[in-house]
Amino acid sequence: MNLSRLPVVFFKEMLDGLRDRRSLMSVCISALIGPLLVGFMFNRLAERQRESQDIKIPVVGAERAPALMEWLRQQDGIEIVEGPQDPEEAVREREQDVVVVIDDEFGKDFSEARPAEVKLVADGSRQTAQPKVRRVRLLIERYSQQIAVLRLIVRGVSPAIATPIRLEEIEVSSSQQRAATLLNFIPLFVVLAAFAGGMQIATDTTAGERERGSLESLLVNPVPRESIVIGKWLAAVVFAAFSVALTFFLCLAVLQRIPLNEFGIRFTIGPLEIIGVLCATLPMALLATGLQIFIATFARSFKEAQSYLGMLIMLPMLPGILSVLYPLGNQPWMIPIPILGQHVLLADVLGGKSPEPIWFAVAGLSALVAGLLCVYMTTRLFHKEKIIFGR
Amino acid sequence: MIEVSRLHKRFGEVVAVDDVSFTAGDGTVTGLLGPNGAGKTTTLRMLYGLIAPDRGHIHVDEVDVASDPLGAQSKLGVLPDTQGLYPRLTAREHVRYFGRLHGMRGAGLENRIGELIKTLDMTDIADRRAQGFSHGERMKVSVARALVHGPGNVLLDEPTNGLDVMSTRAVRKIIRRLKAEGKCVLFSSHVMQEVSALCDSIVIIARGQVVARGTPDELRSQSGHENLEDAFVSLTGIDEIRQ
Repeated sequence: MNLSRLPVVFFKEMLDGLRDRRSLMSVCISALIGPLLVGFMFNRLAERQRESQDIKIPVVGAERAPALMEWLRQQDGIEIVEGPQDPEEAVREREQDVVVVIDDEFGKDFSEARPAEVKLVADGSRQTAQPKVRRVRLLIERYSQQIAVLRLIVRGVSPAIATPIRLEEIEVSSSQQRAATLLNFIPLFVVLAAFAGGMQIATDTTAGERERGSLESLLVNPVPRESIVIGKWLAAVVFAAFSVALTFFLCLAVLQRIPLNEFGIRFTIGPLEIIGVLCATLPMALLATGLQIFIATFARSFKEAQSYLGMLIMLPMLPGILSVLYPLGNQPWMIPIPILGQHVLLADVLGGKSPEPIWFAVAGLSALVAGLLCVYMTTRLFHKEKIIFGR
Repeated sequence: MIEVSRLHKRFGEVVAVDDVSFTAGDGTVTGLLGPNGAGKTTTLRMLYGLIAPDRGHIHVDEVDVASDPLGAQSKLGVLPDTQGLYPRLTAREHVRYFGRLHGMRGAGLENRIGELIKTLDMTDIADRRAQGFSHGERMKVSVARALVHGPGNVLLDEPTNGLDVMSTRAVRKIIRRLKAEGKCVLFSSHVMQEVSALCDSIVIIARGQVVARGTPDELRSQSGHENLEDAFVSLTGIDEIRQ
């Protein structure tokens, strides 16, 4: 295989691509969207966290339980407000996240040491209200416990007797793994960048070249088709790889600025992990653009190529969708499968695990092989008269 | 020198080229004349190696196109049917790209580009991007990039199609210059005047077959018409189909 003219094709396509506002835009936009979204969503989460710390509790019949109200007011960030007329309606209509209703008989029951009733009106299907509901419930339970302890002591009984079981929750996922569930979409954005970054140039140099009518003139030159296809491919790879690296580093930059400690998350990534992630994901650019060049060459027109490649972008989202349907977890056999392997490795690294270096190499190599296969098939297409002259 | 012998090509049921043979010699201008759809473009595409013939042989300066397509292509300068440019490259960059694809480089290439820009009178557009070039300007760039490596054989597919008078004259000038330089020039056209004004030798094809060949004078005597256009009509059999 004589590839001596390959650099000529490559540098021409690079020059052409760098002058194309649309391919530059697709690199920038694809690289920016992910990190911005990550930052935005984390800030929203942090805000909500703060909101649940600092809450107003609407109470119906507060006057019936003055001691409880007094105790609640002493808790950090709690304010008691007048409850609505119809608490259930107010929660159903989402005017309130939670309403506390003190029973009419509360005072009587309480003083006679019978269980006094407090209603907690909440909508269990509303995810966003959950932290607030949980906080209120915990506070009331804690008050109840304190009173119970006091009553037992007054009666000369050890409070330990009333606590046959002491429940202690031990969270097994490391704090970094909890971060990873939140950070799970970063791998998706990084892999998406491989597809979005080179898409414009992959279409423009193949389907676009034919549609403009310059392909015939190009192929008349004494240059092997391999050189032409690989030159075009590598130019698209540079754009895609740049986009991948940019997305990854911007995500890291955003993570440094996010108050992750507010979530109880400690996040660190060392140079070794950075190199590993780049080794695993940069070859994604080879595969993504290889697929794109193949499909765009096969498409009948520029428009058709664009719509096919738009659909192809769904491909990197598949592992995410499948993992919801079939929660297999991250298993070793997934690593050699392109796209899936990158997801697994990235999730591991962001979760604070350090996969063996060999796995990064395996994931990278499998993407490279798949990319080369696409390029080989594209070269075959470039020999077909129907492809060269359109159908 | 281009030698074509017994070329056949069919696309599905349609026979596009049927037993076409001719020779285009050095220092002469050969015209491939025929009505639209006669098989001119298909024949030329087989000559420059983008379509493989079903049967028959093509030699460019004794290089067999089928067995050594790249070798043959390096001896050819081609102005194909479609002459699309890269909208974001300048005229000079177009010519440079093709020169490099032919393995040229450095001062030799730059001098050659300068020379072509001067001869083709394209100094004003040389460093402008091709976006928005007129038809004539696009044609000049296409010709320049086809000739950058100084090929001994030049193929032009309907070079004056859609050009205004000035650009047509410029193309004719180029063809005469190439002939004077001793090149083998083969161009296709469906315009009789075009061919008769330039060609030393004419090959008339119709429905994929060579129906006549020779000098303009020979064709006149073959058909028995004094007027070359009448000769063309009677030789291609367009008349018979109409009637």
